[in-house]
Amino acid sequence: MALDDQIIDDLAEVVDEAARNSEPIVMLTAEHPEMTLEDAYTIQRRSIARRIERGESLVGMKMGLTSKAKMDQMGVHNPIYGHLTDSMMLADGASIEHAAYCHPRVEPEIAFVMADDISGEVGPREALAAVEGICPALEIIDSRYKDFEFTLIDVVADNASSTGFVLGPTVAPPEWVELGNLGMVMSINGEVKATGSSAAILEHPARSLAALITMLDERGEGLHKGQVVLAGGATKAIHVHPGDRIGLEVDSLKMVELKIS
Amino acid sequence: MADERSAVGEIADRLWAAQSSGEVCAAPSADFSDLDVETAYAVQHQIIRRRQKQGLQGRPAHRVGRKIGLTSPAIQDWLGVDEPDFGVLLDDMVVLDGMEAPTSVLLQPRVEAEVAFVLADDLVGPAVTAADVIRATDHVLPALEIIDSRIADWDITYEDTIADNASSGLFVLGNSPRRLLDVDLKLAGMALRKNGDVVSTGAGAACLGHPINAVVWLANKLAEFGQSLAAGEIVLSGALGPVSDVRSGDWVRADIASLGSVSVRFG
Repeated sequence: MALDDQIIDDLAEVVDEAARNSEPIVMLTAEHPEMTLEDAYTIQRRSIARRIERGESLVGMKMGLTSKAKMDQMGVHNPIYGHLTDSMMLADGASIEHAAYCHPRVEPEIAFVMADDISGEVGPREALAAVEGICPALEIIDSRYKDFEFTLIDVVADNASSTGFVLGPTVAPPEWVELGNLGMVMSINGEVKATGSSAAILEHPARSLAALITMLDERGEGLHKGQVVLAGGATKAIHVHPGDRIGLEVDSLKMVELKIS
Repeated sequence: MADERSAVGEIADRLWAAQSSGEVCAAPSADFSDLDVETAYAVQHQIIRRRQKQGLQGRPAHRVGRKIGLTSPAIQDWLGVDEPDFGVLLDDMVVLDGMEAPTSVLLQPRVEAEVAFVLADDLVGPAVTAADVIRATDHVLPALEIIDSRIADWDITYEDTIADNASSGLFVLGNSPRRLLDVDLKLAGMALRKNGDVVSTGAGAACLGHPINAVVWLANKLAEFGQSLAAGEIVLSGALGPVSDVRSGDWVRADIASLGSVSVRFG
């Protein structure tokens, strides 16, 4: 049973304020166990609409739960998505303040930059045809829920934990790289902390992109030229601490960096 | 000394019996409290000599290379060590690319994807550097290592796995040689598929930061035992990602970016 429209509005405000102030909140499904995944995506959209009313602009989308391990862990068969706004975008090499987040973690990712608008039920090949290039990315994820207690539906309502992202400066056409099996090495202060391959992202990042476009189509939406899509984490997320300098190297795509102060 | 010799013999007998009968044994470390690293390598040496003399099924085996194990920080942490280990590869462990692995000789098989180095020149430690390894390497190949443990439930210590030939089982080499000059092994992606699904992913850096680092370690470690690597030897350098369990009927394929693929079936 779907939630009342007013409750959805109220919950959108709750998650928006939590993200804005980095104030941990109790998971929404504790009080609203009847909340559906559809409700959660509506809450997510209304919380993004609040950001846009404040002057932020939509710059792209992110995919989450794109690894089989994570889907098994959450007991689901599909990935989830969230929205990215310009306030979440950080410059390569930027420094962020640890204190401004609840439980920040970082994931190594592959990002797509779209060359064209695209919508509909598409496959990986059609999705890739609308891509201008790919680049390495670090995503900062931060759950606003207290004690990391949440369900999948809570995560979706909380914009799939999106918080910030950094894109590497090298954008390569997808046909230049072995997109389905790019080695990814994430280091903190020079020490290798996680290694993986883009094959962990739904077995191929283009499948993640196609899955996103197809899910957006269910709401009559699509992707637009110039938008960025974070395709999903290639390894598990790593907790970060003040003083950390995080580097991600991706095969053929050079480096992207982030500092934590 | 006599005691130590008999401990080596007893442990070797126990592991040999497990391999021959297909019945796992209790961990040697549980019963031989003084089993240290040196003794463990002595056990390994004795078992390998026996396989070279009489073989597992009556056919003497020949050494074709070495394997390096415990090359990831996660595995080293699990065993509480800060060093890899090594074992010996014999010709009766070879499975050809795409073929069926003889499951009858395996007890508790697991599979991992690795880079295999094939040497053009001898590599004699100590003081072997990455430059020496690069110069001595003829080519690299994608490889699947089918690791196995003769010890019940893989409940092993560092010394147990060394004694058990670094938990070697069988191995499969891909048939697409590449020169080190042409590849960036550190950032080479790895995807391991079981029955078509991706079950393990990683990259070259997962193996001691770079697979070449593992070969450097091996060449220098062997020198401590008065041994070295010879031209023509194969070196399995260590896993590029987590291992996967396998059972009869499974088929497994590893893709290593810029090295190609290698596959095996379990009958």
